[in-house]
Amino acid sequence: MSNTTTDDSLITTEVQADSNDDRAAPAAGTAVAARDLNVFYGDEQAIDDVTMEIPEKRVTALIGPSGCGKSTFLRCINRMNDMIEICRVEGDVEFGGKNVYGPNVDPVALRRKIGMVFQKPNPFPKSIRDNVAYGLKIQGYDGDVDARVEESLKGAALWDEVKDQLDSSGLELSGGQQQRLCIARAIAPDPEVILMDEPTSALDPVAASKIEDLIDDLAEEYTVIIVTHNMQQAARISDRTAVFLTGGELVEYDDTAKIFEDPEEQRVEDYITGKFG
Amino acid sequence: MATDNPNADGFGEVSRVRGIAFEYLSFGASVFGLVALGVLLVYVAIDAFDLANASPEWLLTYFLTLVGPFLAFCLYSANDPEVTRRALGALGGGLVVVAALFSAIEAFVAPIPRLNWQLAYLFVVAAPTTAYLAYVGSRGRLGAVGFGLLGRLVGGVAIGLAVGTLFLVFDALLWFLAYTLGVLPAVGLYAFGRVRSAPRARTAAAPVGLVGLTAAVFLRDVVATYPSDLIIYLWTIAVPVAAAGALLVADRSGRTAGVLVGGLPLAVATAGGFLAAGAGLPAPTVLLVLVLTGVPTAAYVSRVVDVGEGVVGLALPFLLAAGVIVGALIVEALGVPAPDPWLDASYLTEAPSRTPSEAGLYPAIVGSVIIIAMVAVLSFALGVGTSVFLEEYTPESGPLGTLTRILQVNVANLAAVPSVVYGLLGLGLFANLLGLGIGTAVTAALTLSLLILPITIISAQEAIRSVPDDLRRGSDAMGATRWQTTKNVVLPEAMPGILTGTILALGRAIGETAPLIMIGAATTVFRAPDSLFSRFSAMPMQIYTWAGFPQADFRYGVVAAGVITLLIILVGMNGSAILLRNRAERGS
Repeated sequence: MSNTTTDDSLITTEVQADSNDDRAAPAAGTAVAARDLNVFYGDEQAIDDVTMEIPEKRVTALIGPSGCGKSTFLRCINRMNDMIEICRVEGDVEFGGKNVYGPNVDPVALRRKIGMVFQKPNPFPKSIRDNVAYGLKIQGYDGDVDARVEESLKGAALWDEVKDQLDSSGLELSGGQQQRLCIARAIAPDPEVILMDEPTSALDPVAASKIEDLIDDLAEEYTVIIVTHNMQQAARISDRTAVFLTGGELVEYDDTAKIFEDPEEQRVEDYITGKFG
Repeated sequence: MATDNPNADGFGEVSRVRGIAFEYLSFGASVFGLVALGVLLVYVAIDAFDLANASPEWLLTYFLTLVGPFLAFCLYSANDPEVTRRALGALGGGLVVVAALFSAIEAFVAPIPRLNWQLAYLFVVAAPTTAYLAYVGSRGRLGAVGFGLLGRLVGGVAIGLAVGTLFLVFDALLWFLAYTLGVLPAVGLYAFGRVRSAPRARTAAAPVGLVGLTAAVFLRDVVATYPSDLIIYLWTIAVPVAAAGALLVADRSGRTAGVLVGGLPLAVATAGGFLAAGAGLPAPTVLLVLVLTGVPTAAYVSRVVDVGEGVVGLALPFLLAAGVIVGALIVEALGVPAPDPWLDASYLTEAPSRTPSEAGLYPAIVGSVIIIAMVAVLSFALGVGTSVFLEEYTPESGPLGTLTRILQVNVANLAAVPSVVYGLLGLGLFANLLGLGIGTAVTAALTLSLLILPITIISAQEAIRSVPDDLRRGSDAMGATRWQTTKNVVLPEAMPGILTGTILALGRAIGETAPLIMIGAATTVFRAPDSLFSRFSAMPMQIYTWAGFPQADFRYGVVAAGVITLLIILVGMNGSAILLRNRAERGS
């Protein structure tokens, strides 16, 4: 990446990390761990020997310039990279103590335990109710679907806005509402981890701030791993931050406060202060 | 192409001559094509309805009793003074222009055969204006209600007749057993599972249905006594249709309305079925037509009455029926000479004959309906299956990927293979090798399915490809299997496109003649086919045969009537394809 592509908002960044966060203490167990992870697209290396442990019930942010492999890393966790035919993964990703690339792992079963929210809101062209109930339906859930739909929509801070129009199409909602609908859809089957791939980059600032508040709440119950381009966002909402730089190298991974206030590496400081990006 | 002129003032000029020439050439070419086709259709319509012999008084009477009120209804529901002004202007101005032009051409250039100026006015001005007004009116509240009702009446009759026709072929007794032992228990179990949320009942539905269907096949010859055909149709089709309508309405507007919507048409249809024999009509067909017309109509009327908007619009069918009856009475009373149309009720219900005035298309219509029903099922199932496989299941690289690409290219090439070659394939493969018989309905259906399969596959592939990848990935990330993603997300989203493509392809199949000639379809049959393996003729085949007859009445009148029948069916099919697509596009 060259300096000319630097995001405006990054240049003057003198980011204050969320230091008064009550969850900052690293007492939690490990939800996801990567060991010597290498990912290749054809001959090109997207992730270079990454080893990291992601704590459970915390928000972990992955930041870095475009093409640095942070989204690739995210997709390794629920094996969405399997859909890309030229993608090759070496090393281990452990989730719940098991290697997700192990021989007996069914990626479909794995994804049922890991929710995912994409950059662009992608609700199904179905009713709001059917959108949220989708995961329950495909997993053959036997219980009270309507109760779970209500619970999930409340969890995604969307219930009050849509409770009278559950049967109208999910596509009729605004962009921010659609993204919260996607979050409700992701949490309805009660996953353990929620992956978010730049969930606010297609939204306006007001909608984005609602999602940020929501992510804070979600971390009470779920492990949230979020990829973001927006460094203030990472500083505001995350407990831990991993900085990837070009070539898929994990340069620094630490508490968010430490990364933004006193990074070990000069390259990281250059990146978060906008000298490099 | 741009040539700058540095000497001119300002920024110079850029030549647009070639663009303008191209624009007008293409415009002229398309207008010429449309006009040529329009003139042909006008003459075919004149021949089919014998309008050349219609007296001006006859035309005027029907214009006043039928077209006038219809126009008034459309204008009223369009509810726009501007539309009214323009329509009346077009009708009045058009009258003068057509009369003047017609007289001038007849006087100075050449006589125009078999066309007088009133007819010309009818086709050139009145019909397009009426169609335009119907289109504008059908979007108004009042008009939409009326046209919706009309659509249900006409569509119900068409489906009822088609289903009745199909039962000429399918063994009613086998169907009776299959329905009673297989379909009914399976549907019942599934519904029970849904209502009581008992997943085991739902899972059991499919096996129970299969066992029932298999048992029906074996019991077909064992069971000795069966109820009459009418009772069978009542039990297996009329009652379920009425029940479905009743459930739908009961869910929306209460139990009483539901019982009325289901019960009333069922009672009328049952009575009609039992009385039909006395009137010399086929009882099961009368029952099917009445119930398939009645239930959708009743459900629609109940909703319109519920909503309370545009109830007046429901009068449209009565307005049209009254127009026809009043017109007929006036013509009768005045003793005006009426035309004797080739395309009349007996044309549609009689067998071909050696005398033109008695010739009918009925066996060919039945043959076409049977073939098209089988082609629809076969090409839809095979086409959707293949396209889902090609689009969703095959990898893009590796040996399988190469194989897929070869398949893709070949499917595209197959679409360009002449239909006569498919006919040869059908003759060799289905008729001879598989022994399905030369010129049988099943051979024709298989051949035509093969013929339109590439088109169906390509259009279904396009539809599936146009489903955004975001949706697939969203579903995959939820932990859906490939099949769950395809079934729950991709296919529902792609279905309007798939249906549109399939119906358009069916339109091609229904008009094909060359493959039918190749597989040895009969040029003329005098009895409707009564099994899949009986000899049949299809509409285009029969029309082609008549066109070669020596009598002029066959070549002009009877052929024209056949062409109009075929075109009406085609336009109906394509129109429903467009409606389906529009509705689905609005829905998503």
